[in-house]
Amino acid sequence: MSFSEELLTRLIDEGSSAGASYVEVRYQNDYGILVSMRNGKVLGVGSFKEEGVGIRVLVNGSLGFAATNDLSREGLSKALENAISRARSVAQLRKNPIQFTEEKVGRASYEVVPKIKLEDVSIEGLMSLGKEVFRVLTESVSQVKLPVCVFSAETHVQEKLIITSDGAYVRSRVPRMYVSANLVLFHPQKGTLQRMKEFGSSGGGELLDMWRPVDVLVDEAKKLEVVLVNGVEPPKEPVDVVVGSEIVGLLVHESAGHPMEADRILGREAAQAGESYVKQEMIGRFRVGNELATVIEDPTIPGSNGFYLYDDEGVPARPRYLYKEGMINEALHNRHTANIFGVKSNAAARAMNYASEPIIRMSNTYLKPGTMSFDELIEDISAGVFIKSYMEWNIDDIRWNQRYVGLEAYVIRGGELAEPVRNPALEITTQGFYSNIVATDKELKFYPGTCGKGEPSQGIPVWFGGPNVRISKIRLGVTV
Amino acid sequence: MTEIIELGRKVVDRLRKSYDDVAVAMRVRDRVMVKLWNTEPSVTQSWLTTSVALLLTKARKVLTLEFSVGRPEEVLEAIEKISSVVERVEESELYAPLPEPQEVKLVEGSFDTKVINAMKDPSVLTKLMVDAALSEGAERVAGTLTLSSDERVLITSKGFEGSEKKTLVEAYLRAFKNEFSGHWAYGSTHVRDEEIKEVGKKAGMYASITSNKVDLQPGKYDVVLSPLVVGNLMNYVSFMSSALAVLVGYSMFMKFKPGDRVASEKLTLIDAPRDPTLPNVASFDDEGVPTYNKPIIEKGVFRNLLHNSGTATKLGVKSTGNAGWIMPSPWNLHMEPGDLREEELISELRNGVVITNNWYTRLQNYVEGVFSTVARDATLLVKEGEIVGNVGRVRIATSFPELLNSIEGLTRQTYDITWWEVQTPIRAPYVLARNINLTKPYI
Repeated sequence: MSFSEELLTRLIDEGSSAGASYVEVRYQNDYGILVSMRNGKVLGVGSFKEEGVGIRVLVNGSLGFAATNDLSREGLSKALENAISRARSVAQLRKNPIQFTEEKVGRASYEVVPKIKLEDVSIEGLMSLGKEVFRVLTESVSQVKLPVCVFSAETHVQEKLIITSDGAYVRSRVPRMYVSANLVLFHPQKGTLQRMKEFGSSGGGELLDMWRPVDVLVDEAKKLEVVLVNGVEPPKEPVDVVVGSEIVGLLVHESAGHPMEADRILGREAAQAGESYVKQEMIGRFRVGNELATVIEDPTIPGSNGFYLYDDEGVPARPRYLYKEGMINEALHNRHTANIFGVKSNAAARAMNYASEPIIRMSNTYLKPGTMSFDELIEDISAGVFIKSYMEWNIDDIRWNQRYVGLEAYVIRGGELAEPVRNPALEITTQGFYSNIVATDKELKFYPGTCGKGEPSQGIPVWFGGPNVRISKIRLGVTV
Repeated sequence: MTEIIELGRKVVDRLRKSYDDVAVAMRVRDRVMVKLWNTEPSVTQSWLTTSVALLLTKARKVLTLEFSVGRPEEVLEAIEKISSVVERVEESELYAPLPEPQEVKLVEGSFDTKVINAMKDPSVLTKLMVDAALSEGAERVAGTLTLSSDERVLITSKGFEGSEKKTLVEAYLRAFKNEFSGHWAYGSTHVRDEEIKEVGKKAGMYASITSNKVDLQPGKYDVVLSPLVVGNLMNYVSFMSSALAVLVGYSMFMKFKPGDRVASEKLTLIDAPRDPTLPNVASFDDEGVPTYNKPIIEKGVFRNLLHNSGTATKLGVKSTGNAGWIMPSPWNLHMEPGDLREEELISELRNGVVITNNWYTRLQNYVEGVFSTVARDATLLVKEGEIVGNVGRVRIATSFPELLNSIEGLTRQTYDITWWEVQTPIRAPYVLARNINLTKPYI
């Protein structure tokens, strides 16, 4: 970390002396490398480094944020001055002063220590993996062609030091790896099928061995080849649908995680990512699903993509039960929204980089798994569809009406998987899904994502996951 | 500016002996954003940042570096550290030598001192926008006002040296009345009170346009798409017109070649870097190639992919001045207007749905262009030429080829739109399209 800690501490004093009731100084340094390849050949290799300081102040009940990458005394003081003066200038437009909760903030240092340091992950190794992916995938399909196989791999280290005027001092270092592949399968009569597959976790070079991306992608490509060549239209009548864990994970992220963000509930993101069907008075009172609908948000899962132990306001992290046995249970809070709700913060404030204000974000969100096997989950389905993966999805701005279009999907007949199905569209309301869960299996799987929110938009690494979930009597659509 | 140009020269001089080509692109930004929440500022954000990006090539190997660091010396230190990397990189499929410098005619008129003055106290313009929405009957508003000055420098080892300066304003507001809402946006290099007021006014007008909620059955409908919706969807079309998007499988233009009909003859979509009033105005691209306005689609016919030197060399054509070192991108978009008058839209539609805003556009398959997107804010059912109510958050589920071919009319008046869901600025009209698939959940 190439900065003066003394200067950061001095900013706290300067801000307080200038009239700020709260000052938060966050040094953040994000750096890494990126390799992009197309069909086994290099497109480009990149290196990035974003280092700077983000400052937040509360002045006359108005919140100001300023960021700079000029880490000199003058540069930092100028940023602090901007944060304070501009917060003060718009304070007149506020009717209700912004206040933060008092919290037992952390004084701590933590680090994710990988088995293989990211510095030891070689560019040659990543390029050779990209070549291997293309070579093996091309050989693995016989009835279709693979006109496009884009492979990218990224290492990313995130270092932070958070100091606040009320005593927080949290230093952290989290390395992450991310690998993705975009495949286009082509058949002269059947057209094309596209799959984007991602791998992402906190940790180091050992993740590449754990993920086995070549094996996973080959397995998928072979199955998707069959879907493209032999896939049939989904049944038109309502059927039991088994939603695969990849979609369940995304679905709980979209329809439990986002609507339970307290800033969204209060309208802070209204003009961007929208509001929420959840209102403050519904917490603990509104039933959105049946007893199988328990959704957990947990930043503390070791190795997870959304891992942290203290949030960017210095509050210690813990698991949060967003939906508990069908009931809306606990919103995600920072110190501002917690104050409005009359609760304590549950440490959901995260910032993408030094230039971003900390806002309420998810970390790792998942549906609680059950106890049965996948075979038991489908054994008494006489006619149904299993949707294992997706490409297209979206949800409305209050997180109620959502759509997931399947990629790898199969008819279920007589309790067994049968012929593949092409492009089944599951279009369902939030309550429609969580109220119609018949059963969940015990296979909890996590998938990586980059969640977008805020203005300017911030992409944050998360995991989402769940078991395979059976829902009853759903009418599926089909894409054009 | 002088200081940063000096830094750029120093970097290029230091590196030119070790590499075949060096380019350094730098950006200095001073930006302020007021974010509104329930008619109050939720946060005022300020940024003072310098970013430095480097392109290094050696023996057909390509390395890019991006730094957001405060001390210029750190750039040089960082370069020393990664100098061995380029040796280990393989040849790039998209390598091309940097172009020889050409004469660049700078676009004039993209700097507005009013923006600089407004940055000192952004509450004045904020209030103007909010009050306009409230005067239309809105009960509460949310949105942002962003003001910025932006300096850009490019220096290459081929001898190109260019710099330019602009100001930016981006304003958008969502107005609420009861359970209904309306949204409008504006993006420009210039600030004019009337334009800022119009953002509030149109958002407030759409929030208040009906107090009736009506049902809509899934099916095919004639639709009017507002400039916000058109802007969002044309952002996807223009993204797919990047030659790299085609090469990496993220484009419906994989299936077409220039000269093919891809849309209704009513559609002309232009990449417009030299419009001084739109936020992404640029006189030269990141390789120093002079920019020029060009059609992507002209009267329904696919005309141009967007290229940098690398993609152009790969596909045997000339750069279109759209670099991005790796990814060529559109600058600003112009969509040619039509002959409909805005006040005639509802009667022209006769029966159908007016979609005034959308978000969350996602594709099932870029090659086929299959996508869906979700309506938000005023989504109005029209029967016999009259608005009968708001149908709520329905979904357009179709494909870009279908949608583009269904365009039947466009308004004369256009709007300059930039906002959260329209990142590539566009000047766009309202669009009338026939027989578009709308869906919603069964349970």
